Amino acid sequence: MATQVHPDHEFDVQDLMINMGPQHPSTHGVFRMVLVVDGEIVRDVVPYIGYMHRGGEKLAETMDYRQGIGWMDRTEYLAQFNAELSYVMAVEALAELQVPDRAQWIRMILCELNRILSHFMFTGAFGTDVGVFGTAFTYSFREREVIQDLFEEITGDRMMYAYFRPGGLAWEVPDNFVPRVREVLKSVRQGIKDMNGLLTDNEVFRARTVGVGAISAADATDWGCTGPVLRSTGVPLDLRRTEPYLKYDEIDFDVITGTTGDVFERFTCRIGEMWESIRIVEQCLERLEPGPIMPDRMPRMLRTPPGEIYMRTEAPRGEYGIYLVSKGGNRPHRLKIRSSCFANLQALRDMTIGSYVADAVVILGSLDIVLGEVDR
Amino acid sequence: MTTDDGAQQGSESGAAASAALDGTIWPEVDRALAGVTATAEPSVLDVIVWIPRDEIVRGLRALKHDANLKFDYLRSLTCVDNEEEGMDVVYHLYSIEHGYNLTVKAHLPVDDLNLDSATPVWRAANWYEREAAEMFGVRFRGHPDPRTLLMPEDMTDTFPLRKDHPLAEIEVLQGEALAFPSGAGGGGEEE
Repeated sequence: MATQVHPDHEFDVQDLMINMGPQHPSTHGVFRMVLVVDGEIVRDVVPYIGYMHRGGEKLAETMDYRQGIGWMDRTEYLAQFNAELSYVMAVEALAELQVPDRAQWIRMILCELNRILSHFMFTGAFGTDVGVFGTAFTYSFREREVIQDLFEEITGDRMMYAYFRPGGLAWEVPDNFVPRVREVLKSVRQGIKDMNGLLTDNEVFRARTVGVGAISAADATDWGCTGPVLRSTGVPLDLRRTEPYLKYDEIDFDVITGTTGDVFERFTCRIGEMWESIRIVEQCLERLEPGPIMPDRMPRMLRTPPGEIYMRTEAPRGEYGIYLVSKGGNRPHRLKIRSSCFANLQALRDMTIGSYVADAVVILGSLDIVLGEVDR
Repeated sequence: MTTDDGAQQGSESGAAASAALDGTIWPEVDRALAGVTATAEPSVLDVIVWIPRDEIVRGLRALKHDANLKFDYLRSLTCVDNEEEGMDVVYHLYSIEHGYNLTVKAHLPVDDLNLDSATPVWRAANWYEREAAEMFGVRFRGHPDPRTLLMPEDMTDTFPLRKDHPLAEIEVLQGEALAFPSGAGGGGEEE
């Protein structure tokens, strides 16, 4: 950084470069950013990603369509069902498979519960970022654990579910599925109220977040932001509403939007979405009826005709897209994962420049990045 | 399939293709792309529009700024390697105001993988193009920040997502480098 005369002062000043990460508790994984600071003010941010790049798109080209499901869990490891959903729906659309109603309702329940789980992860980690060390985290994880227990009972795994299949589901849910989900919802309701008491209504929390890291709707759109980051600016883009998939067009729910696009609204949007997810799950439980969970006739080895599709669904962090190009056969010719965090993270520089160093951590936390999804 | 065919046939001919495009946004797109040689092709979800690579940025800009389309959101940008048939750069666009979807493609021949950058149209193209450049070796002319993104800084000569790149090649290369260090002290070429 070149030495320059500060406009407000009579002495020479020099910008300082601070390296943050890749091993840093507030970067939520292996993410590095170089901050150029002038005193306490951030003048520039250079993000570095790729520490967790595993070549997943190349790997997916070597796997057949059923093997690929397991890989999707490992890209977005906090919203695995949502990631699997985009993938299996892309394969279903190409292979022209009809998914039975029951499988669609169960998918919706699991995806919405997964959204709540993921947002609880966010509230906990974000609480730590703004300085509520420990308390918010443990309360969030208590609720997350309740949902994770349910997922474990259904799929047999706590993180890498691999439960969706092109055509439907891997196996039937346990007999006590409906009462168990209601139990979970009861616990989750209390958990969200706890979060509101701990964070949303907390004066210190508001002082740290209101008006921090704001971005305009036009900028957020231009950077390709989606999910709560875009909706907090006031753009009501929710793929569940704009391009309904599964049975979302038969369900009553609100799209939560903000107005200012600051860190606080990114937080409250997610809290609001958790309430909406509860509403959606309750309606799905009402509509759930016995029936098949896979199409009657499934080929032993799934093949797709040549073609391509860009399938997108609304994951907790935004649009999770799968661009699948098939040249026939049982594996993709090309599989591109459009990650929501990848695009959201691009806007970090715009949000952070001009803010305080301490707020840089808060702004990064408010994007709720999952590095497994960013780097793939 | 290729842009050459489209340029010869023009968008009027091909009755079967145009019937499949009925009810899509292709007429609107065709009107917005006046002066650009564009051809359309139906697909499972979205209409695919092929634009010659020399006109790609002009076409994308027209699609973004047309009042009836307003493709203001770049969903995704990527490449598809078709080996000896060249490479396709694929843009997925969305119009937040109108709810339209569109896939735009540009074809690049194997021996000339250059294309104008879309970053002046959408800033979101920045990282997508950096990723496509390092993974496929496509050079985006006029890109403001042409560094590697996911790959190491010095890995600018291999393109892992190309079809001719074996899955395990990188491990093999690293293993050799570890077994036979090029420099005497292990520091390698930095000295």
